[in-house]
Amino acid sequence: MKKMVAILMAIIIVIAVIAGALYLTLSDGSGEDESIYYTTIAPSNMKIALDGGNVAGYIAWEPYCSDSIVAGVGEALVWSGEIKSDHPCCVVLVSNNFLSSSNGSELTARFLKAHMEATDWINDALSNKSSTNYTALMDMAVAFTSRNSSVVGSAFEHVNFDYAITQEFIDAMVWFTESFIEIGVMTNASLTDRGYTSTEDFAENYVNESHIGDAIEVLPSDTIIGEVRLGFLTGDLHQMAQVVARNESFFGGKSPFEKYGISISVATGAPYVNGPSEMDNFAQGNVDIGYLGAPPAILKHINYPGVQAQIVAQVNTEGSALIVSPGIQSLEDLKGKTIAIPGTGTIQYLLLQVLIRDAGIELKAA
Amino acid sequence: MGYWLIEMSPDKPQWLELRRLLISAGSIAIFILIWHILAWWDHQEPDVVVIAYPGEVFVTLINSFVEADYRTYLMHVDIVASLKRLLLGFLLAIGIALPMGLLMGYSYIAMAASKPIVEVLRPIPPLAWLPVFLMLFGNALGPIMIVFVGIFFPVLLAVIFGVRSVPPELIDAARTLGATRLGVFRRVIFPSTVPYLMNGVYIGLGVGWMCIVAAEMLGVEGGGLGSRLWASYETGNYDSMYASIIMLGILGVLTTELARILSSRVRDWMGME
Repeated sequence: MKKMVAILMAIIIVIAVIAGALYLTLSDGSGEDESIYYTTIAPSNMKIALDGGNVAGYIAWEPYCSDSIVAGVGEALVWSGEIKSDHPCCVVLVSNNFLSSSNGSELTARFLKAHMEATDWINDALSNKSSTNYTALMDMAVAFTSRNSSVVGSAFEHVNFDYAITQEFIDAMVWFTESFIEIGVMTNASLTDRGYTSTEDFAENYVNESHIGDAIEVLPSDTIIGEVRLGFLTGDLHQMAQVVARNESFFGGKSPFEKYGISISVATGAPYVNGPSEMDNFAQGNVDIGYLGAPPAILKHINYPGVQAQIVAQVNTEGSALIVSPGIQSLEDLKGKTIAIPGTGTIQYLLLQVLIRDAGIELKAA
Repeated sequence: MGYWLIEMSPDKPQWLELRRLLISAGSIAIFILIWHILAWWDHQEPDVVVIAYPGEVFVTLINSFVEADYRTYLMHVDIVASLKRLLLGFLLAIGIALPMGLLMGYSYIAMAASKPIVEVLRPIPPLAWLPVFLMLFGNALGPIMIVFVGIFFPVLLAVIFGVRSVPPELIDAARTLGATRLGVFRRVIFPSTVPYLMNGVYIGLGVGWMCIVAAEMLGVEGGGLGSRLWASYETGNYDSMYASIIMLGILGVLTTELARILSSRVRDWMGME
């Protein structure tokens, strides 16, 4: 009798377990849910996730936004410029170790000269869509991002390329830092632990505009003066300047970097999947100069691993968006649903937090 | 010195226990001291600071139970989430591996039929299934299925081995006493398999924890220690990361102890057959 009971109990447990497991998969967990959830997905997989219904939306950098828009898989609910107008996005970061090496300072100035020239060239090309420069730009962008020209063309509409360091830029760095503290990813204590008295003090010291000042006087060089190990993000159209500056074929066999005496080698592990990952590589000494979002550059300098570096130039402003499946008209529609982010610590995550908190909704990890 | 030793005679049991506790406490204190020194040494070289101070780790650990992090999860919510997944995967694995193992160990036909498939799937590391299961089963069920795969094969193999290891004399003895085939199975084979099953469970638990942490780092719904660990790493909050690691260690010890208690209870119960 005891055995019958035992066997029966065992069968019931197994059935209950399987039933519970099925319930977990099939129930969406929506209903009276007042929060929005986030999960991390690599940007290249975001469109598939949206299409397949795994997520109700995602926030990423171009061209991953236009990807879904052009394919009709999703629409932009909010462009990042609507969350914070003219916000800086990617920056050029130089490791202090590299700067203090024998000709590090000179190489940085030369690097920035090429960066500025490439940025000016891009803006010139974009202003005249019938020029050969524009065609060349599109070709380079298509090759770099592996996207077709309509996606790339749409993407360029939403990114602004600029290298100048202005007071607005520094104010934005302060805003990023304070937003991180407000979200709880960083604390004021960690700021003071790093040796800064305030967020303004931090921004003034972390951003160094002297190098871009030096860059203005740099002249072309016939010989290669030094090597730079370059870091950048996968298929990130914001960072088009480094793509152009590395391009040899259009510029007569000598890329803008080479014109100013810089030999570029792609850093180990690059292209990186997001900014925080690139910062980890800075920490390990793999990257000399890198293009990445300002927020991760700030976050992983103040938090562990405490990367010692300086922001020396801007790369672009805006150029990200919250893409949602058609039918979602507002943030309210996203309640109880999940949005994909490229990673906590990215600017996309930060902007998403700001957007959703300002609407009075809670953003929770999925 | 000799006088002191005579007073605290090692024959007195309290002194023995006290001395053992003191030595253990001392060695843990030394461990924490070494950790602190390593962290201090690591902090001297900025750029790649990886080791957080034990002090801040413990403060963060205690705090995590009362103050929700930016993921909006408290530590006990993460703990429960991970434990739930582990338990579900564990029950599912035992629920299928136990009967299947008994059958395969007992029946020549069942073994011949199942062995090829098992031998093909078994060597695959459970974590290799992560991308497939996350896509197939989603972020909620995927991690549970990984745990299932991780615990399933050790338990299956242990049960098969247990069935095969029953001393033939016992079976003969039971037969001689007039037991039917089913009776032999229920009274002799099944009870002797239990110790082997428990062995499989211990191994399976270790693999299960490994699977759940890794799966949670990649994609999960509802929090969990692995997701806390990974998020802390990504945002550079290493003190919270180490706190998660310590919590995982504590939970590992607790679950194996629980398994041990359960196994002795089961053995008692079986012994009364």
